[in-house]
Amino acid sequence: MTWQDLSTAAPLVAAILLAITVLIVDLIWPGRKALSITTALVGLAIVAALSATATPGTAFGGAYTQDALTSFLNVLFVALVALTIMFAPDYLESRDLPIAEFSVVLIFAMTGAMLIAASADLLLMFLGLELMVLPGYMLAAFAKRDALSTEGAIKYFLLGSFSSAIFLFGLAFTWGLAGSTRVADVAAHLSEIAAGGAALSPGLAMGLAFMTTGVAFKIAAVPFHYWTPDAYQGSPTPVTGYLSVGPKIGAFALVLRLFVGALDPLKADWEIVVIVLAALTMTLGNLVALTQSNVKRMLAYSSIAHTGYILVGLAAYAGGRIEGLEGLLYYGAAYTFMNLGAFAVVAALQRRPGVTSHLDTFAGLGRREPVLGILMTLFLLSLTGIPPFAGFFAKAYVILAAVQAGGANTILAVIAVLNAAAAAFYYLRVVVYMFMREPTTEGAPPRHGNLVWAGLWAASFLTIAIGLFPGPLLEVVNQAARALT
Amino acid sequence: MSNSLDAYLVLSGILFSIGTFGFLARRNAISMLMSIELMLNAVNLAIIAFGSFVESLQADSSVIALLVIAVAAAEATVGLAIVIAIYRNRRTPLVDEYDTMRQ
Repeated sequence: MTWQDLSTAAPLVAAILLAITVLIVDLIWPGRKALSITTALVGLAIVAALSATATPGTAFGGAYTQDALTSFLNVLFVALVALTIMFAPDYLESRDLPIAEFSVVLIFAMTGAMLIAASADLLLMFLGLELMVLPGYMLAAFAKRDALSTEGAIKYFLLGSFSSAIFLFGLAFTWGLAGSTRVADVAAHLSEIAAGGAALSPGLAMGLAFMTTGVAFKIAAVPFHYWTPDAYQGSPTPVTGYLSVGPKIGAFALVLRLFVGALDPLKADWEIVVIVLAALTMTLGNLVALTQSNVKRMLAYSSIAHTGYILVGLAAYAGGRIEGLEGLLYYGAAYTFMNLGAFAVVAALQRRPGVTSHLDTFAGLGRREPVLGILMTLFLLSLTGIPPFAGFFAKAYVILAAVQAGGANTILAVIAVLNAAAAAFYYLRVVVYMFMREPTTEGAPPRHGNLVWAGLWAASFLTIAIGLFPGPLLEVVNQAARALT
Repeated sequence: MSNSLDAYLVLSGILFSIGTFGFLARRNAISMLMSIELMLNAVNLAIIAFGSFVESLQADSSVIALLVIAVAAAEATVGLAIVIAIYRNRRTPLVDEYDTMRQ
């Protein structure tokens, strides 16, 4: 480990130092919530600046790589963690949960995601994955005296560790038979096989299949999704918002580094696997979401459906269109802001302990709290995919790429369009409840903190801005996609 | 077949399958946690076998195995903490009784 290595990995090092700093600040001045939050947010801004300006290069003997993709994903991770920290205080405070520890665990989870985004080594990917999901389990159980929170956490933990073990088993066989954990070496070995120079041994095929299964669990693709609804519904709402976005984008970073990095030579073989996974994931996610009356659970199934749409981008890439990757990254950014925003509104409504996330809570919201109602409508319309919001262009890019790729991808594009139309029903149902039903609860609405409002405005601004002016973001995702291939 | 790489890999596969079966068949959260540990140890066996039979992998294998042990320990810590938390709330370690959200 040299100075050169550390400076290349500066964003990651800064993020780790930040987590420790917030911990120490809370240790010295316990209970000073504003101070902890300020430290965390200022530190996150520094990490974002370091990520955006990082010079490309590799470190730690080629295991760590800093390129345009790393920078893009790092900034996205920082943004979603910062927004989560802004949304959390109101909700946590009224339930006597500590905000400082919440920020620390969240930032530690972010370091794991950043490590995945920068890994050029299978072992580092696994390490990053564990660093990302272990704090996730803790966050899911954050309300440790609440039966629902711990119940969601144990399901999340058991299925999560099970899938990690499966991934690791695949990794061991891939390493043993390909002879290296470096992404470049594995890709070289596989391209030899793809060119017909060597046979694909059964052990290696099994290893790759196990790794794919492990990853499918992590992104919550059907049929490996059953942990998602319970983990999302049980967790405290700000945590649910984070879990639906952070670990998902982190797992997609793993997908990019693994499938587009290491398994690229075999893409003709895994294309059909991704197409089937994508079609199943969005169809089942949407169908089950239709029947939910709890908004948190509905958004959990809708996040499964969105995993399916994001996979369409990967399938289009495997079909030969780099636009698929750009669409995937664009979708990741758009999904982050609109989904976090929607969960933030749910969390704001649950300001008072005991308020459920049932649809009835939303009845008459447009009259009780018009601004909150309008913001929620905006996020839901974007999730549905209605122009001019970010969600529309995200869907348009992945579906267009799939159409251009042709073949089985065309069928996938048709399925995606049908799904987007079906999804409108359950998103718009919430809007109908908000504006056309009489309020069921009495009394004045709760006051929301300035931080929550700032976060909500930021998320809604980004949801609209990314949609109206997609140029700058397209430029960035274009560079990121080219850095990968 | 004995004392060959394949024999050890088959043994590792059998151990991993036993762990998977235990995870899917057991109802007790602690037993499920033990099954996951068994799966991780099966992985370690495969890693060490590769290391001792393939010369070019020897140096890497012990590092990877140690790393897996460390990760397994961290995972067990978090897992047991969650099991304790839920046991305090529900007074049972049986996972199929954790069903408040399905009602």
